[in-house]
Amino acid sequence: MKRRIEIGILYSRSGSYQLVSDACRLGAMRAIADINADRAQTIELVPVERDPQSNADRYATLCEDIFRTSGARHVVGCITSWSRKETIPVLEKAGGMLWYACPYEGFEANEHVVYMHACPNQHLVPLMAHVAPRFGANGFLLGSNYIWGWEMNRVARDLIADTGGKVLGERYLRIGETDVSRLIGEIRVTRPNFILNNLIGTSSYAFLSAYRELGREDAAFKPDACPVISCNLTEAELSAIGETGKGHLSAGPYFAPRPAAFASSFEASAYASVQVMADVLSGNPDAGPAEFSKAFAERRFATRLGPIAIDPNTQHATLPVLIGRIADGFFEVVSREEGVAPDPYLSRYDPAKTFGRPRLRVVS
Amino acid sequence: MSRAARIPNLGGAKAFVLHRPHLTVQAITRQLSAIGLEAVECWPHLPAEALAADFVFFDADLGFDEQFPWKPGEAPMPLVALIGSEAPGRIEWALSHKADAQLLKPVGTAGVYSALLIARQSFEARKRLAGEIESLRQRIGERQTIVRAVAALSKGGDDDRAYAQLRSLAMSWQISVEEAARRIVAMAQAEDGDDQSHRA
Repeated sequence: MKRRIEIGILYSRSGSYQLVSDACRLGAMRAIADINADRAQTIELVPVERDPQSNADRYATLCEDIFRTSGARHVVGCITSWSRKETIPVLEKAGGMLWYACPYEGFEANEHVVYMHACPNQHLVPLMAHVAPRFGANGFLLGSNYIWGWEMNRVARDLIADTGGKVLGERYLRIGETDVSRLIGEIRVTRPNFILNNLIGTSSYAFLSAYRELGREDAAFKPDACPVISCNLTEAELSAIGETGKGHLSAGPYFAPRPAAFASSFEASAYASVQVMADVLSGNPDAGPAEFSKAFAERRFATRLGPIAIDPNTQHATLPVLIGRIADGFFEVVSREEGVAPDPYLSRYDPAKTFGRPRLRVVS
Repeated sequence: MSRAARIPNLGGAKAFVLHRPHLTVQAITRQLSAIGLEAVECWPHLPAEALAADFVFFDADLGFDEQFPWKPGEAPMPLVALIGSEAPGRIEWALSHKADAQLLKPVGTAGVYSALLIARQSFEARKRLAGEIESLRQRIGERQTIVRAVAALSKGGDDDRAYAQLRSLAMSWQISVEEAARRIVAMAQAEDGDDQSHRA
């Protein structure tokens, strides 16, 4: 008889970033189904699902609801950093754990969260190191108006300064906003070497579409001259982007080979989250943050993504770093580095190592 | 367009935590190591190596002056007070050590990163201001020297011209007016001394 363990699933089923949410949910649900179908497993996972409908204020209350109405102490969920930060106080109060399967902006290491996707030393830093020597160091920074965009662009400003480049503009749109004419106008005038896109969901799709039009008018804005670079763009959103994404760059821990086990890194990371969680829970069904921390310190985990190590100090995963260029319906991998240890506070960041040569400064 | 100073990278910095063994110390140490700092626990005394630390966290509840290898208020690095009881006497004592930031106990899963950044910024601002005040004080103290230097240069003649001469000397020697004045006074005294020795 398998021991039944309830786990929370907290992904929105509607709203402006639904494609990403659906990809994560699919990964978690596939992992649950595979574990439950495995006769050798000693546990059966029972999903307890809540739908915050892309409303940041509903994540904390629904997470509380999961803890109150079920035996679940682990939740796979949250897409935006805003919703993750809203949920943390509830996790701390209940002694619960959140398995977070999205890239985020770093500078957090909560004992109640396991960070299973990339942080800046695993996405933005290598992406900038790839782009600056090839396209130039002058960037235009975009973001949706919440913490992901603000903090990513803050790190980007420092990185651009370290390469000797300039920030030619920094603009934010409300989540869900699709009027991008002002951004396009400013980009046309300032003529950057690349555009860092931290817009999410529908705003991002609207921007990529308008930017392709701009490239048609002026070849300086074609992807091979001035690419749009992202740290959260995956196959999950290619259907919404279509042709407009072609040639642009993204960094992530996984791009789907063909044929692929997972359609995107969101799905893969959510799947691996449930695998690692189940691995520890099958040995100790009552394991809480302290037992997980001990397991992270002691061993690696076999997942469908390969063996995964989780740093017990920060609870962030060691991950491959891939840079992909959007081709016809898939990402062509242009650079790959295996096993990059997480450094969420960029405390080991070294500009000279990252960008090759020390920057010359004008002394005035 | 000027931008604020970038958030400092704290990787490799060293922090001493002066607190009796306690869950609070564990919580702080965990956060420090996640941020990339090296944490050293100690109680009841800060060892001499602490003088080279980048940060010191100290217990405001049970702390006392003799724990520190410096006088109250003269710590050479940013201090973070760990406050449990908000008894006014204890806060007064923590203030006498010029804590640059504070953390309330019990310490949970957050708070250390902002305390580090705030402590560092206020410590550096305080140090810079103290340096400026000291240099202004010195310059005020030199007012009499300037008067004597002007008198020595004018030899009873035109004070305005003597002052202009003092300024141009300072410029050509590439030193401050106060320092130039000190040199001139010293030279004048030396000449007087020579005169007196001839007379003797």
